[in-house]
Amino acid sequence: MAQPTRSQRLHLQPSAPRRSRREPSERLLAFLLLLPAALLLCGVLLFPMLTTLRDSVFANKLTEPWAGTPFVGLKQYAQMIHDPRFLQALRNTLFFGVLTVGGSFLVGIPMALAAHTPSRVRGLARVALLLPWAMPPVITGLIFAWLFNGQYGVVNDLLVRTGAVHEPLRWLSTPGLAVVALVITVVWKTSSFVALIVLGGLQGIPRDLTEAAQVDGATRVQSFFRVILPLLGPSLAVAFIFRAISAVQVFDIPYTFIQQAPAQGLLETLGVYIYRTSIEFLDFGYAATLSGALFSVSLGITALYVRFVRGGEG
Amino acid sequence: MDEPAPRLTLPERLGRSLALIALIVGGFFPFVWMLLTSVKTEGELQKFPVQYLPGSLNFANYAQVFTQQPFARFFFNSLTVSLLSTVLAIVVAAPAAYALSRLNIRGRGLLLTLVVAFSMFPVVSLLVPLFRLMRGVHLLNSYPALILPYAALSLPVAILTLVAFFSAIPRDLEAAAMVDGSSRVGALTRVVLPLSAPGVVTAALLVFVNSWNEFLLALSFNTRLDMRTVSVGVTLYQGEFAFPWPLIAAAVVIATVPIVILIAVFQKRFVAGLTAGGVKA
Repeated sequence: MAQPTRSQRLHLQPSAPRRSRREPSERLLAFLLLLPAALLLCGVLLFPMLTTLRDSVFANKLTEPWAGTPFVGLKQYAQMIHDPRFLQALRNTLFFGVLTVGGSFLVGIPMALAAHTPSRVRGLARVALLLPWAMPPVITGLIFAWLFNGQYGVVNDLLVRTGAVHEPLRWLSTPGLAVVALVITVVWKTSSFVALIVLGGLQGIPRDLTEAAQVDGATRVQSFFRVILPLLGPSLAVAFIFRAISAVQVFDIPYTFIQQAPAQGLLETLGVYIYRTSIEFLDFGYAATLSGALFSVSLGITALYVRFVRGGEG
Repeated sequence: MDEPAPRLTLPERLGRSLALIALIVGGFFPFVWMLLTSVKTEGELQKFPVQYLPGSLNFANYAQVFTQQPFARFFFNSLTVSLLSTVLAIVVAAPAAYALSRLNIRGRGLLLTLVVAFSMFPVVSLLVPLFRLMRGVHLLNSYPALILPYAALSLPVAILTLVAFFSAIPRDLEAAAMVDGSSRVGALTRVVLPLSAPGVVTAALLVFVNSWNEFLLALSFNTRLDMRTVSVGVTLYQGEFAFPWPLIAAAVVIATVPIVILIAVFQKRFVAGLTAGGVKA
């Protein structure tokens, strides 16, 4: 919905007859109203981000204080692209990203359709939709670590009861299974977001359109694929870009899982590796370089979003 | 949207019911499972096949949550930090959103784009420089150490949501007030502000939830035990090798209750906010 409303808004801008004498005061007012937000954003987000980019070309290891903080240029960037741990973390992040973003759409779209149809339990359905989205991520991680517990976990219980497996699986300490558990957890947490954006899109589609299609003899499935899905395009695109951003930055849930099964190299995302480099290895210089890489990826996806929104406005 | 439901065929109704059941069970189950776990005894947990219902309601875990760690303090810290972050974010976002949706600003589209770009900053990339900044101004282990970044991180979401709500208020109302001799500020406070109250509530809820849930900065900036927030507090019950699950479950339930209450009470506002702004997960 964000995108159509934005373009609508542009057309609603009245071309109010501007009285030139009012102009300076209006500009001053706008400046004053925007100033606090600009100060907070620049002081707490932009300035630290620029600091990170500057720090990425200086060495700064707190564990080697005698070395000081010499300028090393792009040396740390060269170190990064040859760092097997970075490459592994990058691969993990991209792999999780593809699976969890794809998964959240596969689950989220049907969720939105279910929540959209009028029913007596609509309020309850809406709460069920919001709960995973609003749950603190670190708590989601803890809950699912318990659901996937290797000895007494309810997931194992259901698998054994249904005869799918004979022995309980050690979900979090088996590399492949830990990845599956992480993907399921993140998909549970993020499908809601996709569903909510799609729900917004569905609410903006006039019922007449689907009814007209049905009068013309289309089945519900046909009218979904031919009428509804194309109209959902903008909502899906917005949901996709925001999901992609949160996927490359994912930290809390993998971090919680690693606490439960410390040796899982496959669970280390870029976010977790940056955290460890800064807080555990105290290598602030290299952490800044890694952050620069993550920031570039995020910026790339943001640029995609901007292009998309701008394209919609034109 | 309370239009009469369209007539569905039997398989369609069946499909819809199944989807709704899956949605409701899937959404609630993990939380309900923690609720059940929290009232079981350690012995009841160590059974396989799993014993689904507790033999009796054992609330000892809840008492232990508060005695083993200063959880009441964590809760108070989270509440204070989240509420003040919300107030700060709204006080700063509302004027900016008003300017962006109401005034003739050159480069308005560019400014909105910048706001979106700010919402995409990776928090973990800000960790070290923010840490040094906070240390530099002696704010580590204080409420402002979290309030300032939380307000800033939620500001884009708050601004975009408020812009969407403000823009939906017809300009004619304001123009009418101004024709009647009201100043722009008067039109703002007497006409626009009351009408935008639902938008402000929605934006405030989004900021509050973000702040209540934040983990990374809380973990790194406020390391003194009495300055911890609940999202970090719930992770403090696990030992090096032991996971006292009933205790962790009780802590998780207590930490999630405010979120569950907010969602249940304000479900419509949340849906409106998320669908209006295209907000970050």
